[in-house]
Amino acid sequence: MSFSTNSAVAQHYTIQRRHGTPTTTLLLSVASSAALPTSQKGFRRGAMFTREEKEVKPKLVFNWRAQAGEHAPGSAFEMAEKVGKQLFQTIPGSGPPPAVKRTYKVTVVGVGNVGMACAQTILTQDLCDELALVDVVEEKLKGEMLDLQHAAAFLPGSKIMADTDYKVTEGSDLCIVTAGARQREGESRLALVEKNVTLFKNIIPQLVKYSPDTTLLIISNPVDALTYVAYKLSGLPPNRVIGSGTNLDSSRFRWLLADHLHVNAQNVHGYIVGEHGDSSVPLWSSVSVGGVPFLAFLKHKQIEYTIDTLTELHKMVVDGAYEVIKLKGYTSWAIGYSVASLVKSLLRDQRRIHPVSVCAQGFHGIEDEVYLSLPAEIGRTGIIGVLDNPLTDDERAQLQKSAKTLTEVQKQLDIY
Amino acid sequence: MTTTGQTTKPKIVFDWRAEAATHAPGSAFEMAEKVVNKLFRPIPGSSVSEEGKRTHKVTVVGVGNVGMACAQTILTQELCDELALVDVVEEKLKGEMLDLQHAAAFLPRAKILADTDYRVTADSDICIVTAGARQQEGQSRLALVEKNVSLFKKIIPELMKHSPNTILLVISNPVDALTYVAYKLSGLPPNRVIGAGTNLDSSRFRWLLADHLDVNAQNVHGYIVGEHGDSSVPLWSSVSVGGVPIISYLKQKHIDYSPDTLAELHRMVVDGAYEVIKLKGYTSWAIGYSVASLVKSVLRNQRRIHPVSVCSQGFHGIEDEVCLSLPAVIGRAGIVSVLDSPLTDEEKEQLQTSAKTLALIQNKLDM
Repeated sequence: MSFSTNSAVAQHYTIQRRHGTPTTTLLLSVASSAALPTSQKGFRRGAMFTREEKEVKPKLVFNWRAQAGEHAPGSAFEMAEKVGKQLFQTIPGSGPPPAVKRTYKVTVVGVGNVGMACAQTILTQDLCDELALVDVVEEKLKGEMLDLQHAAAFLPGSKIMADTDYKVTEGSDLCIVTAGARQREGESRLALVEKNVTLFKNIIPQLVKYSPDTTLLIISNPVDALTYVAYKLSGLPPNRVIGSGTNLDSSRFRWLLADHLHVNAQNVHGYIVGEHGDSSVPLWSSVSVGGVPFLAFLKHKQIEYTIDTLTELHKMVVDGAYEVIKLKGYTSWAIGYSVASLVKSLLRDQRRIHPVSVCAQGFHGIEDEVYLSLPAEIGRTGIIGVLDNPLTDDERAQLQKSAKTLTEVQKQLDIY
Repeated sequence: MTTTGQTTKPKIVFDWRAEAATHAPGSAFEMAEKVVNKLFRPIPGSSVSEEGKRTHKVTVVGVGNVGMACAQTILTQELCDELALVDVVEEKLKGEMLDLQHAAAFLPRAKILADTDYRVTADSDICIVTAGARQQEGQSRLALVEKNVSLFKKIIPELMKHSPNTILLVISNPVDALTYVAYKLSGLPPNRVIGAGTNLDSSRFRWLLADHLDVNAQNVHGYIVGEHGDSSVPLWSSVSVGGVPIISYLKQKHIDYSPDTLAELHRMVVDGAYEVIKLKGYTSWAIGYSVASLVKSVLRNQRRIHPVSVCSQGFHGIEDEVCLSLPAVIGRAGIVSVLDSPLTDEEKEQLQTSAKTLALIQNKLDM
């Protein structure tokens, strides 16, 4: 199957037909910008769809109608046009759809294992109407897009697009960034930072350019530092830049406790906060089972335990990711579910509390402008507010220490 | 489960309670035991055994891309209570199991097990076999057969030993030949051995048509039957949009079309998988969804019609004992029945040709 170049006119026409909205609001309002290197696609950036006469790489976006320039006699498109017009007849006098769309569009940057697990889980849970995938490797990107599209009979509602060009992300409600070098076995998250900062300098401005109203959700590791980087590069208010943080750590934590107690993980609550990594802080004071505060219960029933036991449980959580990486090379499924749960809270304004990486300055005595995980209420506007849960002195001290560790790393980053 | 004195490989099955021999003082288990008995108190006189369970257990053999896409989709759609993973590579197997378990707070309580030992699959309601060498770029499905037959000779009897009441769902390619192999090796009645067949091809077909017509794929019906592969047969006579049979509609409205156009649409479906393989190295997501839809139909006794690979001897003039896809009603008993869709003479002929192609392959297999 080959995609031939299409004329700007066909693209105009087909977009209009599909969406019924004036085309000027969509792809054609690209201001010229120096952000993308000209070599990337062979087009002059900023030119409104003038095409070079020389050979251009086929446009990736899997849009039949955009390629529908080929109404060759006998082609399936030609037949479809004829059939469609007769089979489905519009009521005379019908107008275009309302100007305000209420469909959800999510972008996933990076189609590696994490990105695709996120994409697939989001689709299966029916959380968005449009999904855009972006990456730099064309073949892999197109293959992943097709593989998802082929599931259409099982996922009929979703429109799936992909391109190496960020244009495809236009109008996203949420942009999920998974791109970046991944943790190698034994490598700590912080060692990844420098590599990924450079990448973000390409990614973040593009996302915001095409979706100025978007919320950014950062998954790439080290997530706290990179959420801070994304925040600085984006110019967005802090409630709209979120890092997946310790959402998954807390899930592992809850599962571990639940499994020990032989009860459903959804009845075990508790947060791990701070750095998503080695210096994360388990808030034992926040742990409850069926609403029963756990440590208080132990004391009340005079059940003995040592700090070492608690520390060991925490260590199992921290080690969890490293263990999976060692065994299968990477993690994907768990983070996919974790991200999907955040996406649902964000898009559907669930106002649920998740421990996610937020700008923690001013909370719990943290003085630096640093991103780390705190339990936050998540909804359509992003981070609605941070939960002011009471910490023990010890927990507070650990959190501040976590903050200092992260600030040290942040200071060394060359963001500008 | 006796352990010898020397060091044995750690048991993979991630079952805390089985390893709970370690009630060392100060261990989390010890604490948990103490807590549990006080935090949760059964009503006096209760008998809280878990006998007579009606939970669903699914086994997935093979934790490659296809196996894991199936496992993950099945879990997300909450189709089973227990999921067992089997493979030969221990580290990868354990890693995949842990990765799924770590999602527990986001999934309803599903017990996820894994082992290289088939014991872990005991009492499965469905066993999904994805193990096998996969199609390389440009390689047709039929070229894979021999390799995968040897593998099945190990896998199928083990599955049957531990789950005599199970239903086998074969995904490994070439799926029609391997469904036949599984059927023969299992000793099961034919309704309990299903091949994923053209369930996905038909999905791609419906999507293609729906996208051309700008309508939801669920309102487009139509089957691709026969071999899951190059000789599959698109039943154009079965295609309907919103209940309107499309070919008769075209005739009635005098809309011209050529058989080439139809052939091209079919070709795009056949090429679909090859294209994805060429681009990303393998396919996973689409087949995962396809398998999950079959699992749902079986476990929830949906009696939905899916085109799947079945023993087709006696249908549509097929004389050989071959497995190939026909539209079949799928429910708790597996293949409840086959839809007797009227075929045009041409379609019937194509189907019989597909059957002959498959019979030739089958005859060469060393079963």
